[in-house]
Parts: sequence; C-alpha cells; structure tokens
Amino acid sequence: MVRSARQRDVRRHVLVYAGLTPYLIIAVFPIFWMLITALKQESDLYRMDVVPFWFHLPPTLKNFALLFQSTFYVDWIINTMLISFWVSVITLLTAVPAGYALARLKLPGSENLGIGIFMTYLVPSIILFIPLARVVSVLGLQDKWWSLVVVYPTFTIPFCTWLLMGFFKTVPFEIEEAARVDGCGQFGALLRVVLPVSWPGVITAMIFSFTLSMQDFLYSLAFISVSDNKPVPLGVATELIRGDVYFWGSLMAGALLVGVPVAIVYNLFLDKFISGITGAAIK
Amino acid sequence: MAQLSARGERDRSAALAIEVARRAAATPWWRRVAVRRYLFGYTLLAPAVLFVLVLVGLPFLFSLYLAMSDASVGDPVARFVGLENFRAALQSSAFWSSLRNTVVFTVGAAICKALLGTTLAFLLMQPFRGKKVVRALIVMPFTIPIAVSALGWKWMFDSQFSVINWALSRLHLIGEFGTAGWPVWLGQPGLALGSVMFVNVWRSFPFGAIVLMAGLTSVPPEVIDAAKVDGANFLQRFRKVIVPMIAPILFVGGLFDTVFTLSDLSIVYLLTNGGPDGATEILPTLAYQVGIKAGALGRGAAISLFLFPLLLPAMILLLRNLRRREW
Amino acid sequence: MAELTRRDFMRVSGTALAGASIATMLDARQAPAQNRGTTLRMITWSHFVPAYDQWFDKFAREWGEKNGVKVLVDHIPNLELPARYAAEFAAGAGHDLIHFAAQILTGHYYKNLVDMGDVAEPLGKKYGGWMEAATSPAQVNGAWYAVPDYFVPIPVLWRKDLLDQANLATPDTWDKLRIAARTLKAKGHPTGMQFSHCNDANHNWRAVLYCFGARETDPSGQYIILDSKETRETLRFAKALYDEGMTPEVFSWDDASDNRYLASGVACWIHDAISAYRTTQDTNPEVYKSTYVLPEAAGPAGERKNVGEPTVFAIWKFGKNPVAAKELITYLADHQVEAMTASRGFNMPFLRAQYKKPMPVIGEDPKLSPMQDIEKITAFAGYPGPMSPPAQEVVTTFVIPDMFTRVARGQNIDETVKWGVGEIRRIYAKYKAA
Repeated sequence: MVRSARQRDVRRHVLVYAGLTPYLIIAVFPIFWMLITALKQESDLYRMDVVPFWFHLPPTLKNFALLFQSTFYVDWIINTMLISFWVSVITLLTAVPAGYALARLKLPGSENLGIGIFMTYLVPSIILFIPLARVVSVLGLQDKWWSLVVVYPTFTIPFCTWLLMGFFKTVPFEIEEAARVDGCGQFGALLRVVLPVSWPGVITAMIFSFTLSMQDFLYSLAFISVSDNKPVPLGVATELIRGDVYFWGSLMAGALLVGVPVAIVYNLFLDKFISGITGAAIK
Repeated sequence: MAQLSARGERDRSAALAIEVARRAAATPWWRRVAVRRYLFGYTLLAPAVLFVLVLVGLPFLFSLYLAMSDASVGDPVARFVGLENFRAALQSSAFWSSLRNTVVFTVGAAICKALLGTTLAFLLMQPFRGKKVVRALIVMPFTIPIAVSALGWKWMFDSQFSVINWALSRLHLIGEFGTAGWPVWLGQPGLALGSVMFVNVWRSFPFGAIVLMAGLTSVPPEVIDAAKVDGANFLQRFRKVIVPMIAPILFVGGLFDTVFTLSDLSIVYLLTNGGPDGATEILPTLAYQVGIKAGALGRGAAISLFLFPLLLPAMILLLRNLRRREW
Repeated sequence: MAELTRRDFMRVSGTALAGASIATMLDARQAPAQNRGTTLRMITWSHFVPAYDQWFDKFAREWGEKNGVKVLVDHIPNLELPARYAAEFAAGAGHDLIHFAAQILTGHYYKNLVDMGDVAEPLGKKYGGWMEAATSPAQVNGAWYAVPDYFVPIPVLWRKDLLDQANLATPDTWDKLRIAARTLKAKGHPTGMQFSHCNDANHNWRAVLYCFGARETDPSGQYIILDSKETRETLRFAKALYDEGMTPEVFSWDDASDNRYLASGVACWIHDAISAYRTTQDTNPEVYKSTYVLPEAAGPAGERKNVGEPTVFAIWKFGKNPVAAKELITYLADHQVEAMTASRGFNMPFLRAQYKKPMPVIGEDPKLSPMQDIEKITAFAGYPGPMSPPAQEVVTTFVIPDMFTRVARGQNIDETVKWGVGEIRRIYAKYKAA
C-alpha cells in the first residue's frame, strides 16, 4: 500500500507527540506544581482531603507580594542576571581562544593541558571555598556579588573550553586555509572565519555558563551575607526558610520568577542556532 | 614550445624553492612559522590556564595539604599526619556506605541521563508543529536554580502531602495514607536513593539533550547527503556517520556531567541530608558534615578527595583514548 | 505569617543612615569616645519568627544611633552558619559580632575569639546567676569565650481534645505518651518523631535518652558512658513507640514535618519547638485551640530533662569593633523582656532572674505558662559534658538518630549500641590525638 505524503506526515506527528509526552510530563509537571503552590494560601497547603492540583481556597498573590515587598527579591534577580552575564563574558573571552588553540594549533603539550583543565572538576567545591574565601577577602570583594564573578569562571571555563574545542574541531581546515591564503593573519582567520562558522558552539557555551552561574549555592553562601547583594538561589533559600518554618508559597514564587523567563530566553537562542539546520541533519 | 615552457616552469619553481629555503634559513628563530604558531597558541591559552591555575590549582594544593594534616576550621595551620585521615575514613562505616551510594548514584544516574537525553534529542530534531513551545518547556528543569527546584521536589515527595502519592493512591496503584502501601519516597532506604537519583536525572537530562542537539547540528549536511547518496538508510546514517562525528561532544558532555554529579551535594543535602540512617549519604555530603559543620577540615578534605586518585587516571585514560580516535 | 517590611531591611543596610539629627548628636556625646563614628557588623540566624528579626534589627540600629555606631545585621539560616564562619575565618575578615545558633562552635574557634569574661561575669552577677547549662556552649576550660543569648526549648505539644475523648490524662511521662499514641493511632491520630538526618532528631532522641537516665559522656566530656542499661532501655522504648504509635513516614521527616503533622490535625502529640504551636495557630485555629504544651515528659525513674538549642554571641579577634559589640550584648540582655515578647515567647533566657514570673508572652497564655519552669530541666547536647567539638561532630554526623533509626527498623539493640558507641569513641579519639 502506498501511503500518501500527508498520511506519513500525520503518522510522524503522532509518533513524535506520543514519544514526547512522558518527557513533557516529567519535565513540566513539577513546574506546574510549583506554580500552583505559589498561588495557594498557606492553609490550603496542609490539607489532605482536597484535590491538590487545584485550589480549594481562592488563589492568592500574597506569596508574590511578600516576595517583592518584604525581601530584596528585585535586587536578587538583578544580581543574578548581572553575575551570570559577566561570568559568561569572562568565560567566553578565555574559553574561546583556549578552545581554538587546543583544537587547531597542534601545540606541544596541548593534550595534557586539555586533560589538566578538565581535572579541575575533581576538586570539590566544599573544600575549595575556604582558600577562595581568602582570595575574595584579599581582593576586598567579601559580601559583594563581584566576588562570585571572580569565582564562578572556575567551573565554567573548563567545560566551555572543551565544548568549544569540540566545535572548533569540526570546522574544516580548508576554510581556514582559504582565509589565510586570502591574506588574513592567524588571528584574523580565527575571528573572521572560524568563529562565525562555529557560532552555535559559542552560543551553547554562553548558555551553559549562564545557567551554571545560576545554580551555585555554596560559594554565594560563603562569600555573601548582605541581603541586597545575594543572588536569587541564596536569597530565596536563606530568607524564606527560617528554622523549621518554610515559606513554601514564596519559595516557589521566587524560583519560578527567575527560572521561567530564563527558559524563554534560552528557547529564543536555541531557536536561532538550530533553525537553519533543523531538517538538514536528519531527513 | 610546450617543452620549453614546461622546463621553464620547472626551473622557475626550483628557483622559487631555493629562494624560500634560503629565506627560511635566514629568518631568526622567533620569526619561524612554527614558533609563531606556538607563541600565538600559548598566548591564546594563557588567560584560561592562568585563571584555572591560580583559582583552582593553588587551592587544590592547599586542599591536598589539608587532607594530610589535622587541620580544623579554627586552625588551618596544623600538623602533618600523612595518610592518617584516609585511614580514619576507611575505618568509619559511614564512609563505606557513602562510597557505595556515591557509585550507585553516579553510575545509575549517568545511564538514565544518557538514554533519556539521547532519545529526547532525537525526538526534538524531528520537524513538527509546536516545537518551539515544547523546547521551551523541556528546558525548564535546567533553568530553575537547583537550590529551589530541589525544595519543590521535597514538597512533592512529602511523606504526608505528596501530590504523587495522592494521585497514585486515587488511581489505586498504591495503598492509602497511613498503610504500608503508601510509599515514603524519602524515608525508605532504596526509595530514598532512587528519589534523589531521579531528581538529579530530571534536572540534567535536558542538558544532555541540548548538548546532543548542538552536536547533531554541527554535523555538516554534505556528509549526511553523501551518505544518503551512498544509499544508507536512516539508522545506518545515524550509527555510522553521525555518531562518530558527534562522539567527542557526547563524550565530553557525559564526562562533565558525571564529574559534576560526583561533587554535587545540593540535591541530597536538601532532600534527605544523607538520611535515613545514611541511606542517601554520599561522599560530598559526608565530607561537608565532617569537614565544615563539625569543623574537622583535614578529615573532610580527605573524604572529598578520596576518589581523586581513582578518577584521575581513569579520566586521563579515557581522554587520551578520545584524542587518539580523532587525530 | 508576620509581615516584614522592606523599609526596615533597607535601613539595616545602612542606606538610610545619613546625616544625624541634633538629638542624636547630643546623645552621641554621652557615648564612649572610641565608639563614635564606628561600624558594627553582626550576623545571626534567620529566626523562625520573622517579626523577631525585624524587631532586633531595629533595636540594634536604634542602640547604634544613640551611641554613634552604625549597626548592620545580616541573617542566614542557622544550618548554614558554620560554612559562613569557616569562610570568614579563612578570609580573616567578615563580621565583628557573630552568633552561634544550635551548632555551637565555641570550642572550635575559641583561640580566635575575644575573651568574654568581662561581659558574662557582670551579667551573671546582675541577674541572679547563669543557668547550670549556660556554661556548656559558652565556656572553654572554664573561661568565657561566648555569651549565651537565649535558647529554644523543645517541649511536648499534645492535643487535649483527642486525649480527653479517649479518657487519657495529661501525658506527663513517656510511658503515658506511648499509650496515648497507641490508643489514638487506631483512631487515625498517630504521633511522629523524626528518625532521620535532621536537627529535631538529634535533640528529640537525646531528650528521651536523658529522661531515661542515659548519658553521652561524663561531666568532663572525656569518657563515653553511653553504653549502659539505660541506653538500651531507651532504645527498646523507642522501638515500641514507633511500632505502636507511628507510621513509616517518620523516616523521611525533616525539621518541619512534625510542624505540618500537627497543623494538619493528624498528630495526637509531637515533641517540637513552639514554632509548631505558632504555625498551627496561624493555619489551623481549630486544632490550635486544643493544643497544649508540656515542658517535658518524665522517664521511668521520674527524671525530666529537656534538650534545647542554645544561641550564643561571640566576637572574632579580627573583628574591628569589640567594644561596641560587647556593649550591644549587654544592652540586649538588659532588654530581655522586649526581646522575648518580640519572639512570641520563643526565646528562653539563660539568666535566672529573668525567669521571674510572669514571663513575657508565655506568662499570659495559660497553655504556655508551664514553660516558665523549664530552665530547671534544660540540658544541651553532650550532657553532662560540654558542647565540645567532638560532641558537635557526633551531632552533625547524626550518630544518635541513626542508632534509633536502626532499632526502629528492627536491628538488634546490642549491636546497634555497639556500633553507635564505637562511632562516637572513634570521633572522640581523633580529637584527643590532636
């Protein structure tokens, strides 16, 4: 039987949607749950007799209000965005050249250096933060969010270097040679030819260092105690958990307000680098 | 006529070659092409290497020193005790169960993440409507800071108010509240370890999928087309052409995630703090309790660095292997 | 949930502490010369009663204004304070005045803490002497390196209406608590005490141990005497209590789970700080009406010992303003009534004269008034030894909760005692070697 193109299309859609559904449920349900919790009144949380997926008492914006009025949440968001931005910048400025050098220039000892850079992840942060506290204090950055801008690249640079190495390796040598023949210097070849071709990798590296910066808790705890300099994870976890009382609604609200916009922005970037190539790889 | 010009060509290129060689011999060493390349390369490397050396390398040496001393938080300058801390760790039953849990956790989670991440990436590469929305949603576990999403899961796993249990119980897949059939996700030893592993997988597999997608898109379409022309079907294309090309990125992503998991204490710390009775205690949480909370820095450092001598050679071997496959 | 105001937070960061009024300048002239124009940075835990933090920040700031000191107060959860202090010490810089809450690190840092004898002694003399348990978290080798601030007791919170319905009297012994749990579990109201890695598990089970006459160490804190008949009896009791009166969920409980258990109306009794009482008051007024408070239940020999969480002040040697810090501590102790009121009756004092009845908040609530005598039965972890570094390590590695968890899960009691005592001996031995 010959299937029409349309039938094939429908079949593929059904299969894909069916395949994606469990992933979507697993990934998204907790987020939905956090949203509901953020909008519930506190008495509504400790009930076992009602359906927890929806509201028993009317939903309230009180938790969000508490977040904005009684804590430095706005400062925390700004701090987090600024920290992540600067960390991404530093990471790219160091990892892009390093990745390129290790991938393309056949330097002696580059193999060991590459491995060495990766080894930094084996050093546990729960011990690292102690000598780093000294460094932060010497630089006069204690209790300022700039201290994190100095420290976070320690875990973003190694991975991004490797990631970019991988991307740079896939750039065919011919393109680079062609550029050099045309008169670019070595650096010019990097800037004008290699980078533009591997910009999906650069964007990916940027996305990752941005996310990784938002995940840390221990370093920010060790170096910052002043409320308005805290990043979001630290601020939310230290000021909305008091002893054995958790302010669940505001905790969830705080997480969502920073996580969801970032996810949306991510998606815009993901879009860009996959868009042109979507169907090309697997047709 | 042709012979004449051919000979002329040969003479000219010979002359050119001689000229080039003479110039090469005459250039000082710092102008040689190879050396220029090295200088250029090392200069490019310098910022990254310096950063890591100063902010990770030196503190690492310090932590090695700590691991072999009897330092405490109030007294970081202490006596050298050799391998005493490591020996003490080996004698503690908490250490052995932590080690076992760490291995189970890391390996189990890695397998799940690899499987889920690959299939998800593959699904997302298909053209279909609504893809943008799906992608935005899938990415969310990764963008919400783990410190708070773990708390969300804590509430979802709650022994009394767990929404998972509520749903499963209404569907009659598990028992009622208060009976033995009501799973206490964070309270039964096997379930607890499984639950923390699940949260780790939940949070990381979008990451794996993205890395994979990035890798897949960097495969030049010409190679794919060439394979298609050669008559390869989809599965063959995937296995023989795509996988080898994306293997480096895949591999690095997986390695990174594994190493990250090995040193991450936030999920266990927030969900169970190592309980019940050490069922979810992993090396990082134990090291934190002993080294920072109890203040015995030396012993905490020894616990956290314990796997280092094992992982280091393993990593070197694996990475060398990877390099050899490419060059 | 009390409302915090952002304005107070803003002020505390010093952003609004601009030019002084004439009145302030006049007051400042009366302050000791070395204080004027200085800054005092303090860090403390995020109190479960947000209103207390609000009150304290304002209180400290106003004291500062009167004395020409700019006071800045930072708050982080008590469980995270040790990491912060480790970083500050490594950095050699940070806050001037620090607060140990629950995890007492006096013994760890005493070589780098300012001697506090000149604050603690006068306060003791002025206010009828320090409680017996006060020296445990604050002294090292007989010298004061910290000044006790307040402690948090962990009483029994029980549902009078449920016990009345079952014709049970006030459960003032552990055995009566067990009977109540057994009877009411059948009616859908079990009890729960944490068998997990959390703060509450550490002090709940220590309280039961001490009430049964068991002890961790001798008064010097050097010899482990946990391996005893009383310990075994306690473990046996705990197993029976679990089997008869609890459900398996207690193995996953954290510090807040028992609060929720009570607030949801399920628990017939819990062993928890008054934070649970207050949470129930705020979210379930029905249940709150019939929730009563008992300072502690008695063991088989009639002994009562309540294990509390102390908080103490200390000053880093590298702190820049020890004089102002000491004055603030004394000033706070002088205003203990205000402080306790602001904490909704949560903060119990260490100084005997401050137990004069009626005490703020708890003296007025007939359900809470028995708490006014709790200082007589209060002990802290490590009792009767001090809260030394090895005692702290036993606490942070959850050896005691693990022992109880194993027994509740069915493990042999003798083996469990052998394991637990072995682990504790190992920990203490390491400190002796050093």
